[in-house]
Amino acid sequence: MNHFPWLTIIVLFPISAGLVIPFLPSTGNKIIRWYTLGVCLLEFLLITYIFCYHYQFNDHLIQLKEDYNWISFINFHWRLGIDGFSIGLILLTGFITTLATLAAWPVTRNPRLFYFLMLAMYSGQIGLFASQDILLFFFMWELELLPVYLLLAMWGGKRRLYAATKFILYTAAGSLFILIGGLIMAFYNSNEFTFDFQFLINKKYPLELEIIIYLSFLIAYAVKLPIIPFHTWLPDTHGEAHYSTCMLLAGILLKMGAYGLIRINMELLPHAHSFFAPWLVIVGAIQIVYAALTSLSQRNLKRRIAYSSVSHMGFVLIGIGSITNLGLNGAILQMISHGLIGASLFFLAGISYDRTRTLVLDQMGGIGNSMPKIFTLFTSCSMASLALPGMSGFIAELMIFLGVIDNPNYSSLFKIIIIIIQGIGIILTPIYLLSMLRQMFYGYKFSNTLEPYFMDAGPREIFILICLFFPIISIGIYPNFVLSIWNSKVNFLLSNNFF
Amino acid sequence: MELIFQNVWFVPLFPFLASILLGIGLFFFPNSIKKFRRLSSFISIMFLNIAMLLSFHFFWQQITGSPIHRYLWSWVLYKNFVLEIGYLLDPLTSIMLVLVTTVAVMVMIYSDSYMFYDEGYIKFFCYLSLFTASMLGLVLSPNLIQVYIFWELVGMCSYLLIGFWFTRPSAANACQKAFVTNRIGDFGLLLGILGFYWITGSFDFQQLSKRFFELLSYNQINLVFATLCALFLFLGPVAKSAQFPLHIWLPDAMEGPTPISALIHAATMVAAGIFLVARMFPLFQMLPFVMSIISWTGAITALLGATIALAQKDLKKGLAYSTMSQLGYMMLALGIGSYKAGLFHLITHAYSKALLFLGSGSVIHSMEPIVGYHPNKSQNMIFMGGLRQYMPITAITFLFGTLSLCGIPPFACFWSKDEILVNSWLHFPILGSIAFFTAGLTAFYMFRIYFLTFEGDFRGHFFDDVKKLSSISIWGSLEFNKEQFKLDKKSTLYPKEANNIMLFPLIILTIPTVFIGFIGILFDENKMNVDSLSYWLTLSINSFNYSNSEKFLEFLFNAIPSVSIAFFGILIAFYLYGPNFSFLKKEKKKLQLKSEIDIVLKSFSNFIYNWSYYRAYIDGFYSSFFIKGLRFLIKIVSFIDRWIIDGIINGIGIFSFFGGESLKYIEGGRISSYLFFIIFCMFLFFLYSYII
Repeated sequence: MNHFPWLTIIVLFPISAGLVIPFLPSTGNKIIRWYTLGVCLLEFLLITYIFCYHYQFNDHLIQLKEDYNWISFINFHWRLGIDGFSIGLILLTGFITTLATLAAWPVTRNPRLFYFLMLAMYSGQIGLFASQDILLFFFMWELELLPVYLLLAMWGGKRRLYAATKFILYTAAGSLFILIGGLIMAFYNSNEFTFDFQFLINKKYPLELEIIIYLSFLIAYAVKLPIIPFHTWLPDTHGEAHYSTCMLLAGILLKMGAYGLIRINMELLPHAHSFFAPWLVIVGAIQIVYAALTSLSQRNLKRRIAYSSVSHMGFVLIGIGSITNLGLNGAILQMISHGLIGASLFFLAGISYDRTRTLVLDQMGGIGNSMPKIFTLFTSCSMASLALPGMSGFIAELMIFLGVIDNPNYSSLFKIIIIIIQGIGIILTPIYLLSMLRQMFYGYKFSNTLEPYFMDAGPREIFILICLFFPIISIGIYPNFVLSIWNSKVNFLLSNNFF
Repeated sequence: MELIFQNVWFVPLFPFLASILLGIGLFFFPNSIKKFRRLSSFISIMFLNIAMLLSFHFFWQQITGSPIHRYLWSWVLYKNFVLEIGYLLDPLTSIMLVLVTTVAVMVMIYSDSYMFYDEGYIKFFCYLSLFTASMLGLVLSPNLIQVYIFWELVGMCSYLLIGFWFTRPSAANACQKAFVTNRIGDFGLLLGILGFYWITGSFDFQQLSKRFFELLSYNQINLVFATLCALFLFLGPVAKSAQFPLHIWLPDAMEGPTPISALIHAATMVAAGIFLVARMFPLFQMLPFVMSIISWTGAITALLGATIALAQKDLKKGLAYSTMSQLGYMMLALGIGSYKAGLFHLITHAYSKALLFLGSGSVIHSMEPIVGYHPNKSQNMIFMGGLRQYMPITAITFLFGTLSLCGIPPFACFWSKDEILVNSWLHFPILGSIAFFTAGLTAFYMFRIYFLTFEGDFRGHFFDDVKKLSSISIWGSLEFNKEQFKLDKKSTLYPKEANNIMLFPLIILTIPTVFIGFIGILFDENKMNVDSLSYWLTLSINSFNYSNSEKFLEFLFNAIPSVSIAFFGILIAFYLYGPNFSFLKKEKKKLQLKSEIDIVLKSFSNFIYNWSYYRAYIDGFYSSFFIKGLRFLIKIVSFIDRWIIDGIINGIGIFSFFGGESLKYIEGGRISSYLFFIIFCMFLFFLYSYII
């Protein structure tokens, strides 16, 4: 408690730096861009510094704890801390947000607000992953929605208002349930209520109540993750948002739901979780196939990728539901890996949209010849997304497969069926991704486009993609390195609560 | 010595480095690297040469009886779970290493000339090196997970190389089809791997079969489940080796450049399925039902491929169906338990078929300026004929390949194919008769291809008008315009023999095509010892012991039927397509004569032509059944997603919107409407009380 408040600094630094933006000189947006990028980079370096020097790999307890009384009347504490689950996602957040800021370089309309919102989102996301208090968690969750809403409503595509309204109503309605669940947990059977995770871990509830609490949290996360049938906001949002926003949405926002599922539902409500786990696995398996099929029917490039995200989140769900060491590790790895792959796919879709000015797949075609670099990178990222071995997606999905097999509680028939359905997802994934590639790049027609020749990717775009692609490959080649970040925490959680 | 063995992974490393080098160069300095075209191909050939020399060394070590080498590194590890990668060097691996590297080197040297005018020259070498590296990694794999990894990587390389000329829509469709079909196989393979992991708790080949054997002997295995897993696992080889239900991708894969067809889709990658079945052989052997499925799949594939190949117009597609048929033979051999014959055929076929494909590439290369650059024209055998006069070396090497594939002694495939035929006959007569019949068909279609291409008169000029129609350039580059300019200038253009760089691999590949059969026999004794060392399960390969003279005589005696049926096939081909009965003359004759027999023959040939043209109706069936079914399913699902799941959400939104709107009007804040409402209610109230 008496060490330097690193976490508070990394949570508050971006938003407070963002507050300076209005005072910057208004000559062009160059200064604002560089300023924001500098802030993002500095923040990312800070996170890396904390990760390197203040984070112990083998410690499964909460580290760098901070606890400040904020509003004592409702016992609202500014309670932060990191452990194996959160540090990986915090690193991912820093990485993706920095790159998304760089990706947003061409945004010229109202840059002050835009970059401020990016920084506010940065704070919200890190605050969410670092919070150790349900009320703070809820606060950050809501704080994070507003920037997305504004980014979507102001810098989105043609149907941006519809998408933004849908997004804000859907997710805000969902997140109410976090508050409800949190309040029940805090007030149940205690005179002195508290929202502290560490305290709530030890609290016992009757099974019925635990299930109710679990369900209310699950609804919130189901909207965010998303779990079918609560996913329909996602394709609309992703389809309309600017690609830098999409990178953040796909890269980080979706992981918040899965993070919450592990952090609150698994850790605090283990009995209900073992009750719900098979259902999560079933829904996850259905989701993989369902979303893959829906993705195939999409004509809009971004919506197709959005549905592929939904499909990939099914693997996370199965991993969480498998309640095994391998499965949970795989689920977290899948979150990180999809964060990278999804972000790079959306970025690629965005930069090809910048050139072709269309997102409808039928109108594209034959652009591979004039932009070989984008073609190469798009192919590589699609390969990563369809879990080609040697890239991070493969190892994550393999671990989830093995996790399902490892679980001793499920019957053999259940496992076989789940694995076969998952396997069907493996067949469907390349169909939609490769037909997307075929429609975009292969062939030679140049229909409905003004220019027959497009600019290839510039150095900034290539830099972003290589930054995103490098960890995908390196995790795929040697996954041990990242797995060790959360391995001890996963072991601890499972051995403590489930075995 | 030990140091070298510890570093077997250098073999795949060298081509991998070459591909990385070229890939980085191509990606970051696309313009400047184009100046170093020859240098980059030289680098990849040199690196592959080093790999080839190393593999020769390892092969020699294995022949002289050095033990099996196995090294593992842990890749992903937990408390009680370890995924390992490493390599396993045993006779099978060392043979495959030599095979892959030699064919790859030849193909690379060939491609230097074949792809010279292509814009993607460096990209081609980059992909080729990457493919070779992954293929070498595949054959070195000691466990199933590593096999799966490289399995997918070779699939990806195949995808990239089939779609190499990506501006062609047909190539775009073909590469997607190949990848998706292979993914179906991978789905099975992955499930099979997981299933065996579930049963035995291991991915390692040796441990897997050992534990499986132990469990089986203690009767602790659910045999139905184990068989199911084995069948799922077998689905992987079925897709990769183009076996019957999933063979549809292989003929389409001929859209890729011809060197690719030679290396990937004839010699190495398609053999990966055979290789995997061979690796899992000790395990499959314990499941008799699976073995019979394997053998029947092989037999059906062999027959189907041969029948479809009978009337192919496209030179490369004919060879592709022939590849499929020969792969069926290998699978059949493995299924009936004659392990060695299957692998022997793999090796002999690889060299012969690589030779044939490279020869066909040389033909296509010389046909292209005359008939046009579209594959429908330049690969069409109708426009060929009499090429022996213009390109004698290609013709002779192609003839050698053809003879080998037909099973004429003393060429390579004879030795292996004969073993398969004899063994299948001994195993089960129906399989044997299918195999014999297919051997006859093989001889027929191979010589049909040879006669149509190289004998008779050159027919390219009869179809002069096609030239203008067909000349769709692949790249739309300047090279093509030059060619067309030449075309207009020279009124009579004849095909030319390929240059020396292309002829060199052809001639080199002739050597194994002719002689490797003897080597197989000579080293029989040696190899067998090693085999029995490497497989702790003693394989029943007593029947292949031809070392002494009586056995050899018996072998020759056994060879008579297979050779005679091959000659029979060649005779029919000679009668129908031979130089005396030129293609056009025969057509005219056919029109004139209308006897009863001729009508029957004609309807039969029509049937064969249709069968060939519609690819045994299987592709059509798949597209009408699976693809349409999938489309229908997609429509349903997207309807549900759009109108039901999203519809409910939007409905709630609209409902609350209208609710809000109507409430807004009710509580609009106008005093007059409130007064009206009150008076109206009072009026109703009075009316009510009055009526009562």
